Amino acid sequence: MRFRVILTSCFRADRRSGRNIRGPHSALTDFLASNNISAAQIRDEYDRRVADATRQAAEEEEAATLDREEAEYEPTPDPESPEDKSKKRKRQQAIEKIKKSKEFARRKARRTGEPDDDDDALANTMISEKQRPNPGQLDNCEICGKRFTVTAYSKTGPSGGLLCADCSKKHVDGGKKGPVKKRSSGIGRRKNQSNLLDGMASHGTQSLLETCIKKVADNIDDVEEFGDLPPPVMHRLSQILSRKRAVTSKTLDLFLRPSHREINIYDCARLDTDDYHKILASMPRLTRLNLRFVTPMKDRVFQYMIDRDMNIQDLHLDSPNLVTDDCWRQVFTELGPRLQSLKLWNIDSAFDDETMQIMCKSCTGLRRLKLKYLWKIGDKALESIATLKNLEHLSLHFSQETNPEPLLQVITEVAPKLRSLSLEEFRLADDRLLQHIHEHCHHLSKLRITKNDLFTDKELAALFRGWSNPALRFVDFNNLRDVDMSNPAGPPEPVGLASDGFIALMEHSGSKIETLNIASCRHISHAAYEEVFSEHKRYPELKYLDIAFQGVVDDYLAQCIFRCCPALTRLVVFGCFKIRDLRVPKGVAVIGTMGAKLKVDGITQKEIV
Amino acid sequence: MADSTSEYVTLVSCDGFEFILPRSTACISGTIRRMLDPASKFSEALTGRCVLETLTGVVLEKVCEYFFYNEKHKDQANVPDMDIPPELCLELLMAADYLDT
Repeated sequence: MRFRVILTSCFRADRRSGRNIRGPHSALTDFLASNNISAAQIRDEYDRRVADATRQAAEEEEAATLDREEAEYEPTPDPESPEDKSKKRKRQQAIEKIKKSKEFARRKARRTGEPDDDDDALANTMISEKQRPNPGQLDNCEICGKRFTVTAYSKTGPSGGLLCADCSKKHVDGGKKGPVKKRSSGIGRRKNQSNLLDGMASHGTQSLLETCIKKVADNIDDVEEFGDLPPPVMHRLSQILSRKRAVTSKTLDLFLRPSHREINIYDCARLDTDDYHKILASMPRLTRLNLRFVTPMKDRVFQYMIDRDMNIQDLHLDSPNLVTDDCWRQVFTELGPRLQSLKLWNIDSAFDDETMQIMCKSCTGLRRLKLKYLWKIGDKALESIATLKNLEHLSLHFSQETNPEPLLQVITEVAPKLRSLSLEEFRLADDRLLQHIHEHCHHLSKLRITKNDLFTDKELAALFRGWSNPALRFVDFNNLRDVDMSNPAGPPEPVGLASDGFIALMEHSGSKIETLNIASCRHISHAAYEEVFSEHKRYPELKYLDIAFQGVVDDYLAQCIFRCCPALTRLVVFGCFKIRDLRVPKGVAVIGTMGAKLKVDGITQKEIV
Repeated sequence: MADSTSEYVTLVSCDGFEFILPRSTACISGTIRRMLDPASKFSEALTGRCVLETLTGVVLEKVCEYFFYNEKHKDQANVPDMDIPPELCLELLMAADYLDT
């Protein structure tokens, strides 16, 4: 029966090599012919290669099958017989071929720890695996000898042959289970990269606390009560669960503590309106309500808050889109005076300039205000904000385009007490804004001005030179650059944060700066970098540095950065293509290299390419 | 038995289990480190023996296991998290919070 299999495959080979179907001449054939390329020749060569390959396969199969037959019927073959020699040679050739194959190398790599002379054994196993019939063909069962159709699920018997369905089952039930796949120590590459992006260049174990928090989050469905967990741990748990999108009505109950004054849930998408009532009802002492993705939050939730006269001081809500303007106004009039911080994100259907006006009139005690992506507010809202004299932290990212003047008014009025200022994407703001900041802000520790192409380098440098404000802790100037596709080098008078501004910034704030983001400020020169990160300069506090899309940064500058920033934990270098080969100090996560060689402690790291 | 200079310290659980481990290993916990700080003159520092009233033997055993796990993998990159039985993780979480590890 085995011979029949061989014959069919030989026959198939002949038929394939004999295939010679001629189609009509195509335009492509004509084109190729005109370029002296013959389609017929290409096809003939292809046919010949296919035929060769099939014939070779058939020969190998034949040799192998004969070998096997022999093993069965002649346990001790005469080593001198000439016929045997040729078979042996063929088998030897097959083994050599397998040894060169990729699959062999892969398997060999997997069996580390075993002596090298195992190669032959491995090659032999692979050869016998190759000779197994393909799914759909027939074979005799190794144990019961019954004839059966081979499927992809057919099991391998104890001596390498295949087993029929019945024997397969018995073999698995009765026999040992296959060798347990050895898990390599350490966590996978994917996880490493994910950690890197989270900024964790881990050395040593994580803290027991963090490990436990993660474990609890993994098993959150089995947890009945948290017990007496301290608020910081609850906060961390909430973060992890939110990230896993695992906050449901059931999990929410774990966080409801009548004695606690704050609740932080970063993903409320799976809660419904009643759950918000539950939060308010079961935590009457609540002063801080921090909920994100609160799509189902409606007017009556606020109504309840007003009826109970709750002492909410910090209200942080992301996307409460079903709350009407009337309701917002009522909330601010009733509860506004006690509000200390207000953060709102993503409101498109309500919250207009008039609401904003009422808010600013009532919430006089407001010290922290963050408004991001509120679609309906614009210039008028800025004028209202200028009346909030107690503000210490102001963060604005409007969706509407606003004029520069109202913004200047805001700075003039509220600046004296400001400790952090974040103005994102005010595209029309110009140098006057920088001058106002220079003049009026004296207590800033955090400054973010992003996405603008009107500020000049000269004024940015002037902002930092002779500024009475102490050194900043946090600076984010990403995307302050000129955008002109036809002139990538920028105008002769540099626009955005360029060399001079960067030098002035680091001279002013270098001693205290912890976070610096200058992504896409692409007019900073190599020389400016060399000066800022020259040998004797030190930035002892700098932990996070984002210099993405700064083409001038090369390996040399990156090493200079490492030298000058001993506390660095994260360096973001997306689009810095000149970084090719880097020795990364311990504990620094380098994010965004492309095909670069990173060495930590002399060990080359794998990276996403 | 031990004093402030001894190389080993003893951790005692509330139900009386005693774990003797190297001082450096135990000091991975901030709380224990402060207890054993010779400058503190706490009785723990003088005797080298910490009685942890809030921890049961089972939890303390796991904590000690973590100390050694931490010590062993101190200089390695990409260390997998230690395996913690789910039924123990809340208690261990409290312990970790208390011990500042």
